[in-house]
Amino acid sequence: MKKHAGAIVLFAVAALTPLVIRGGFFLDSLVIILLWGAISAAWNVAGGYAGQVSLGHAAFFGIGAYAAALVSARWQQSPWLGLLVGMLVSVAAGLIIGYLSNRLRGPYFALSTIAFSQVLLIVASRWRGFTAGSEGIPVPFRPGFWTLGLGHVAWVYVALALAVVYYLVEVYLERSRIGYQLAGVREDEEAAEALGIASRRLKVFAIALSAALTSIGGSLWAQYIGFVDPFYVFSVDLSVRFALHTIIGGMGVALGPFLGAALITALETSLRAHFSGIKGGYVGLYLVTYGVILILVVRFVPEGLAGLAARVRTRTIRAHA
Amino acid sequence: MLTLEHVTKRFGGLTAVREVSLEVAAGELLGIIGPNGAGKTTLFNVISGFQRPEEGRVILEGRDVTGDPPHTIARLGLTRTFQIVKPFGNLSVLDNVMIGALTRATSVAEARAEAGRVVETCGLTAHAGARAKALPIGLRKRLEVARALATRPRLLLLDEVMSGVNPTELAGIVELVRRVHAEGVTLVVIEHVMAAMMRLARRIVVLHHGELIAQGTPAEVAADRRVIDAYLGDEFVLAQA
Repeated sequence: MKKHAGAIVLFAVAALTPLVIRGGFFLDSLVIILLWGAISAAWNVAGGYAGQVSLGHAAFFGIGAYAAALVSARWQQSPWLGLLVGMLVSVAAGLIIGYLSNRLRGPYFALSTIAFSQVLLIVASRWRGFTAGSEGIPVPFRPGFWTLGLGHVAWVYVALALAVVYYLVEVYLERSRIGYQLAGVREDEEAAEALGIASRRLKVFAIALSAALTSIGGSLWAQYIGFVDPFYVFSVDLSVRFALHTIIGGMGVALGPFLGAALITALETSLRAHFSGIKGGYVGLYLVTYGVILILVVRFVPEGLAGLAARVRTRTIRAHA
Repeated sequence: MLTLEHVTKRFGGLTAVREVSLEVAAGELLGIIGPNGAGKTTLFNVISGFQRPEEGRVILEGRDVTGDPPHTIARLGLTRTFQIVKPFGNLSVLDNVMIGALTRATSVAEARAEAGRVVETCGLTAHAGARAKALPIGLRKRLEVARALATRPRLLLLDEVMSGVNPTELAGIVELVRRVHAEGVTLVVIEHVMAAMMRLARRIVVLHHGELIAQGTPAEVAADRRVIDAYLGDEFVLAQA
């Protein structure tokens, strides 16, 4: 229980916030933080636990976003159905890319994932008849849970539920047989093989699971934001964002992606709010801050914010002993 | 238990292992010696499934495992250690061993209990919670053996687990290898530390330029002219006498 104190506090604060704060701006930031946190947790399944550092997760996010938007805008069906379709397509895509890039390691694997997401970007932005091309797809707002036309408060709880479920998936990966075996594969694939672990199959499994979770996040995001733009949902920027949240928060640590997402999104939102308008000249400042934080984390706390918290805790225990 | 039939492994124009045939009986402790580049580790790679031989067959307990992936062969009861140790660096010693134990155990709890026993057998209990990459080399060699043992192999290939460690550690590892063998695990051991090898193995095969040039008891091998020329050198013979 103690190990999960951080997560319990974080999720409890999120759950209580709508009861205290009713401001649209705050709740909007909260929904985004929870969605980004959950999707980064999905990235962590492949990148953190299995060591398959992808810079193309926008591919799965985009598939989810498009699936939900197309199903609700084009075919007038429930976006939940679209979410399911997107998830299945993403699993298939994850299996394919996992299988194809199986022998690639480190930077080569990352490059292949970028290429994959870029291919999808081209398809989505050119296939006008199906995806509406580069214009993107506006998602119609139809009030109700089944149609995912919800207010801010309801969205907080939808996003929170997603975040909690994904956190639990991560915790499972830390304790289960498959989680330990993945850690072995991540640390040394040959040693894992010599111990009887089918490393390739396990990597593909992790990528497919991560893809499915990412896709669900993408579907919900599309319904929340109400617009799907191919140049955003399939962008390398977005892929990098999922990775950075997790790297800054702590790779292979369940709470890491949520901490990273909270810090980065909060900073980004406030800096953008402060330096827009009259002081428009500084509008890019949040990117600079982003970079500085990343450098500081990688230099001084390579294990991420979650690792920093653990380090402080051990030091306090030692000081008390 | 293990039969190699005319195994040949080439890398481009270089033949690393040439036409090696070998029989390892159940319960045996077989030593493999030879100069650097003789093809000893390549032979291990072929047996354990990391490299597919161009010619020949690898037969484990009557089953042809040539070209099978390492994890399949490990599940059949043959595993190996690596000359350049490959610990799961960021994990604890206990978790390292537990990942090996998971191959046979039905639950994580069972694997953890088994790992605890193996860690104790291998004299690593005091370091069970330490990160593997923080261990000194002697202990990392032990961890390499412990992790392999946790998969409950019937045949274990040890690649230079006694090299590069200090004399105290060496004595401990020799003792550990003896105990593992006494418990019924068939062992094939690559080693450069001749003194240890002469005491441990009852049969030694000698590789030179990828070919099996001699085999026999330690005494026979040490007296073999080809072995002295290729590997041991006359100083060794003088020192023995």
